[in-house]
Amino acid sequence: MAKPVEQTPYDDLVVQAKTEAGALARLYDLYYERIFKFCVHRLYNKTTAEDITSGVFLTVAGSMRDFKGRTEQDFRAWIYTIAANQANAYIRKTSRRKRLMENVVATRRAAEPGVSPWSQLDWPALYDAIGKLKPEHQTVLTLRFFEDMDYDEIGRIMDIKPGTIRVTLHRLLRKLKEGLRDDLGGDL
Amino acid sequence: MFQDEHNLRKAIGGMNIDAEPRSAHREQLRRQMLATFEAAGRSAGASSRAAAPSRTRLVSITLAKLGAAAVVVISAAWGVHHVLRISAGPLTFDQVQQATQKMAWLHAVVTEYRDGAVRTDQQWDSFDTKKTYTLTADGSILHADYGSAQRKFFYSPQVKAMMVTELPRRGVWGARSAHTLVDTFAVFADQDDVMVDESSDQYAGQTVRAFELDRSDPGIKVKGRAVTRLRMRLMADPDTRRLVAAHIEKQGPRGAVLAREEWVVSYPQSGPEDVYALGVPRSVRVIDQTAQVIGTPSVQPRPISTPGDTGRSRLVPVKIELPKAFFIGTPQPSRVPNLARPRRGPRPPFLAPPGTTNVAAGKPVTSSDSEPFIGTLDMVTDGDKEADDGSFVELGPGLQHVTIDLQKRYEVYGLVVWHHHRQPRVYFDVIVQLSNDPDFERGVTTVFNSDTDNSAGLEEGRDLHYTETNEGKLINTKGVAARYVRLYSQGNTSDELNHYIEVEVYGRPVR
Repeated sequence: MAKPVEQTPYDDLVVQAKTEAGALARLYDLYYERIFKFCVHRLYNKTTAEDITSGVFLTVAGSMRDFKGRTEQDFRAWIYTIAANQANAYIRKTSRRKRLMENVVATRRAAEPGVSPWSQLDWPALYDAIGKLKPEHQTVLTLRFFEDMDYDEIGRIMDIKPGTIRVTLHRLLRKLKEGLRDDLGGDL
Repeated sequence: MFQDEHNLRKAIGGMNIDAEPRSAHREQLRRQMLATFEAAGRSAGASSRAAAPSRTRLVSITLAKLGAAAVVVISAAWGVHHVLRISAGPLTFDQVQQATQKMAWLHAVVTEYRDGAVRTDQQWDSFDTKKTYTLTADGSILHADYGSAQRKFFYSPQVKAMMVTELPRRGVWGARSAHTLVDTFAVFADQDDVMVDESSDQYAGQTVRAFELDRSDPGIKVKGRAVTRLRMRLMADPDTRRLVAAHIEKQGPRGAVLAREEWVVSYPQSGPEDVYALGVPRSVRVIDQTAQVIGTPSVQPRPISTPGDTGRSRLVPVKIELPKAFFIGTPQPSRVPNLARPRRGPRPPFLAPPGTTNVAAGKPVTSSDSEPFIGTLDMVTDGDKEADDGSFVELGPGLQHVTIDLQKRYEVYGLVVWHHHRQPRVYFDVIVQLSNDPDFERGVTTVFNSDTDNSAGLEEGRDLHYTETNEGKLINTKGVAARYVRLYSQGNTSDELNHYIEVEVYGRPVR
């Protein structure tokens, strides 16, 4: 049975935002920080995240009048789809992110010499392991663990069945564990 | 380590990634977004108005009929009919002429195809002050004041002098201008033996009203050859009623095309203040050939002096090695404003004083983006001009620049920049500056600027956008003495990033 459409107080706002700049500005206020943080979590760099966030909202502004959705849930799925696509396109196009990731890993390791306070959870290793995943898989992880979305919503954003998302996540977790086990010399 | 999602969530929750947004970015983006939304609305509104202009009016008519007495209905019906006839009826050329010539400034990019060659000129018309300015492809500048002064100014960078002459009292006075284009069309259109065809058409993705006429023996010549048939097609925006483009074809005997012109027209808020704003050196000799009048003439004639150093005025061709081409011809990216038409055939030789060489080879390069996405900054001057992967440096999005330190002052006569010639891209807001100040805060000379809307915030440019090819872009720098060369760009037609394959700077040590 299909999950019922979630009603939110902002459904009317979405409809109004197709024609009214004021309503669109309110939607912007609701979503700016979420999309920015999503981009930071995908790209690990605030400046780049700002650029991608700008691209996302300018895309929304240019296409809002043609947006077919009528609820906030529709809008959320749409804007996260745009953000995920733009972030992934950026990652594919650049080699900088890899270096940024390496910098993050190096910085974290330098800050945690010797026995890590995270003896059970090694952050640099986790960054590293996430960075080795495909961009789409990183998106799944980001939406699930940074944005706290359920399988249905991730499925709508990525145009994948919720069941497939569940299986994908399961495999990703296993892959992450294997990656971390290698990184930590089998200490898992 | 984690066994399930719960543990991973805990792990990620402790990552403490700094993701606090900046309020400045939030506010700036809000303004940009709302402006984009309004612009999209205007665009959509314009097309929907064209599709259904009279529907609401018909409803109004119906309501009026239902609600009013017969005499009022008759009056209302007449009034509505009158309104419809004026506002929704076919656009006339008189309306186009009026709407176009009431604008403060008109800017046109005119591409002429003649004798197998292509040249692109730019011209600005101020209908208020009755002045036109033309910047030709070879750097010549033509200015006509057809108001009270009735003067024509012609500057030639080859002659290095500016001629001042009187405008002919009648006939075509030489300046290719929208003033003469629109008026000429109107004059021909009024003649009894000329029919004007009107139709709706598509131009650059928008619906336009096209006016076309065909005139035999118009009494004009192309380089001494009589034009036997003139075909003019002017296109106007039905909403603004202003001219947006024109195609002109001049035929000789047996239908041979002597010349063809394509005009792309826009309406900036301002134009050049004078010829010096277009690049005429303020120190240039002025040769006034106008009749001298009693009193103080507007421009004092100056004698032509012999150049102090005749040896330095001799120019020789400078050989520029070109990389292999990745595509044949120059397909044009669509919808780029102020785009120079591609030249047919190879570039004319670059002339410079003897001893001019590439003084940028191997020189250090810095950039606003110290961490390029791809490649390294030394690739800008490493001599590798090929378009292959591994030959270019990729800088971040937005406005970025590279600065070449020539390590001492040179008289710089020209430079060639290859951004990326694997595809026929256009880079936006290309600005090239020379200076002796490494920070470019003082003594800055701008030698090229295609930032026509001043989005880079340096100054409004008047150079044309151009399509990247393996020839690179040759920029004449006119012997400016400088140590540092800075090149800006702000994304391109393929992505928002900035690329440099190579920059060559041609100069010789300052004497």
